[in-house]
Amino acid sequence: MADLSAASAGLAQLQGAFGKGDLTACKQLLSRLKLELTKLPALPPVYEQSANAQQQLVLARQALELAVYLSVKQGDEAAFERNYAQLRVYYADARALLPPSDQEASLTALNLLRLLVQNRIAEFHTELEVVPQQVLASPEVGQVVELEQWLMEGAYNKVLDARARAANEYWHHFLDQLSSTVRDEVASCSERAYASLTLADAQALLMLGSQAEAEAYAKQHGWEVSNGRITFKPAADKEGGAGGAPLPSLEIISHCLNYAREVERIV
Amino acid sequence: MGKEVEMRDAEAPGKDKEGKGQEGGAGKKGEEPAAPPPPPKPLAVLRANAALIEKAVAQKETRTLFGRVLRHTAAVRRRLTAADLVAFLEGALPAGSPALQQLVPAVKQAGESAMEDGDAANGSAAEEAPSQPPPLPSSLPEVEIYAYLLALMFLIDRKQYEQAQAVAGSAVERLSGLNRRTLDVLGARIYSYLSLAHERLGSLASIRSSLLGLHRTAVLRHDELGAETLLNLLLRSYLAENLYDQAERLRAKAQRPEASRSMQQQCRYLYYLGRIRAVQLEYSEAKDCLQQAARKAPTSAVGFRVAVQKWLVLVRLLLGEVPDRTEFTAPDWAQQLAPYFDVTQAVRSGDLSSFARVAAEHDAQFRADRTHNLIVRLRHSVIRAGLRRISLAYSRISLADVAAKLGLPSVRDTESIVAKAIRDGGIEGVLDHEAGVLQAARPADIYATDEPQAAFHARIAFCMDVHNEAVKAMRYGEGGGAVQEFEDATALREKQEQELAAALEEDDDF
Repeated sequence: MADLSAASAGLAQLQGAFGKGDLTACKQLLSRLKLELTKLPALPPVYEQSANAQQQLVLARQALELAVYLSVKQGDEAAFERNYAQLRVYYADARALLPPSDQEASLTALNLLRLLVQNRIAEFHTELEVVPQQVLASPEVGQVVELEQWLMEGAYNKVLDARARAANEYWHHFLDQLSSTVRDEVASCSERAYASLTLADAQALLMLGSQAEAEAYAKQHGWEVSNGRITFKPAADKEGGAGGAPLPSLEIISHCLNYAREVERIV
Repeated sequence: MGKEVEMRDAEAPGKDKEGKGQEGGAGKKGEEPAAPPPPPKPLAVLRANAALIEKAVAQKETRTLFGRVLRHTAAVRRRLTAADLVAFLEGALPAGSPALQQLVPAVKQAGESAMEDGDAANGSAAEEAPSQPPPLPSSLPEVEIYAYLLALMFLIDRKQYEQAQAVAGSAVERLSGLNRRTLDVLGARIYSYLSLAHERLGSLASIRSSLLGLHRTAVLRHDELGAETLLNLLLRSYLAENLYDQAERLRAKAQRPEASRSMQQQCRYLYYLGRIRAVQLEYSEAKDCLQQAARKAPTSAVGFRVAVQKWLVLVRLLLGEVPDRTEFTAPDWAQQLAPYFDVTQAVRSGDLSSFARVAAEHDAQFRADRTHNLIVRLRHSVIRAGLRRISLAYSRISLADVAAKLGLPSVRDTESIVAKAIRDGGIEGVLDHEAGVLQAARPADIYATDEPQAAFHARIAFCMDVHNEAVKAMRYGEGGGAVQEFEDATALREKQEQELAAALEEDDDF
């Protein structure tokens, strides 16, 4: 049976510092606590059976959950990924050994959101397959799944609105990143879909604060601005290009040579 | 449209019988001529098999002879009784061997717990047997493993999964001590029954690490068939728990032989790979894999083909293709694919509300098939399909009408969705923000572009590929240097025909 006093004291300290929002202290306390955790034998991958094995697991899970939140607060995504990878074991393999955590849904959602924001869509979906049914039904995870759908469809204004309805403060860090990506997406769509737009409309579409900002954004993308209208050039280029595309002669030649060689081999 | 479907359904049962009759005639040659001459006694078949195994080991010829052994076994599997099996085990295994001591009580117990009706007849078969002298017990490990395999099949057929687990466990232990290439074929079967027994009891995760160990050993010993089988079993066990990430990591790192040793294992591998790719949104690769799996699967493996077909339908829908109606109406699976047929209809019509209705209606089915998440992703395809129809039908339509037609809640969403569709090349057209209309461009003449050429090239390349593959498969088939031995061209052709016939027969006992 392992002695839990040092680790639980460390966790209490960490929780205290986290509550006060003292990030630097948190960081130090966390690394000390993680060292403490390595001494507990009931944690994965050993899973040693003992009377307080469950307590040990719960304690470690709480510590890691805090660690994940902390990394969001610090804006450290690498640390987030690392901590979450450690935490995942408690939600998957060790699931049967300890009571469910009330943080699970919101942390799972946060991790999914991170993958979405980092544009790791394939991982997002593999991760989604592993999420258990009851967690999938939670509102937080539901929101992330919706967000992914909107992104796929192109309902960008909803994505930008999502920040106002964010499940909790931790989302803001990721959603802020997302909105700049989405703005660029909207810009590239508008470029192709519209011939021209008034500055006011462009400002609304791109969700920018003022017309001046919209004008600056347009300049940045090389769009022509005159009399309060943006005229998109690439659209015109596209039409001109479709008519007079040169024959891909080199490609055709290489195909034909290839056919000739293959047919020769057959005959 | 609905009526037509109903009519087809009503027709289906009649067709079904016909189809099955034909299939029975064509597919199960081995059992069909059973009527005129009485079928061989199971015990006699088993003894003949043991003799065959000894011959195979003596000649070091594993492929064809073991193939025959397994085929014969499959033919008598249904008729096998406890008495027969015990008689065989006592005859074939040396008295007092640990295998005999474990297997006989297990089989007897299983036989008793599932009392068969025809026990009297079987009893006579067992009594009759001693009249002809039983062959001498064999000390060959191959025969011992074959005995294990028979006992396993028997236990699993009788649903005695705990017993089967124990028997498979000791068989694998025995196997690990032996390093003989002549055991590969039997060993691979033992592994799959081990995994099956655990799967039925829901303890698949517990043997994962031992399967990984076995896989490593099999690769080191160049036991290609064993390695392939074990890899598939591992993938199956990962996918059973939706652990796509682990499955992909294992698959990417594991060595696979270039040419697969067994068509069945290759089909399974392609199916698992297709599923992994589908989840990772690599739809075109997923489609390739699943399509190959569907083509290569033998016609008798209906369950497997249905599972492949379900995934294939969804992947094709996600790619924006609409599967042909005939793909759903094959009598073998029309009923099982019905939910997927409904989904296809909804996607094709591009109507979000009917799609939502279908998805809700068959939700339980999709969850059971583990395709629920793919269905969720289909929403996007539904919108695209609807938009394409609209853009073809109208040259100028207000965004409010588009929203109403697609069943989208707000005009603002619709505008940005349409904008993205234009950007991605889904539809051709221009939006006018002030007027709030979509002005569809006239559909470009596709024959003026490179498109037909590209399609033509893809087809030619495919044909060339098929030809080259065929040539390769002929020249470097099983046995490597066999070509030089047969100077005489006719002998070579005969040999190839035999191999082809054997391969076709092998497919039957998938």
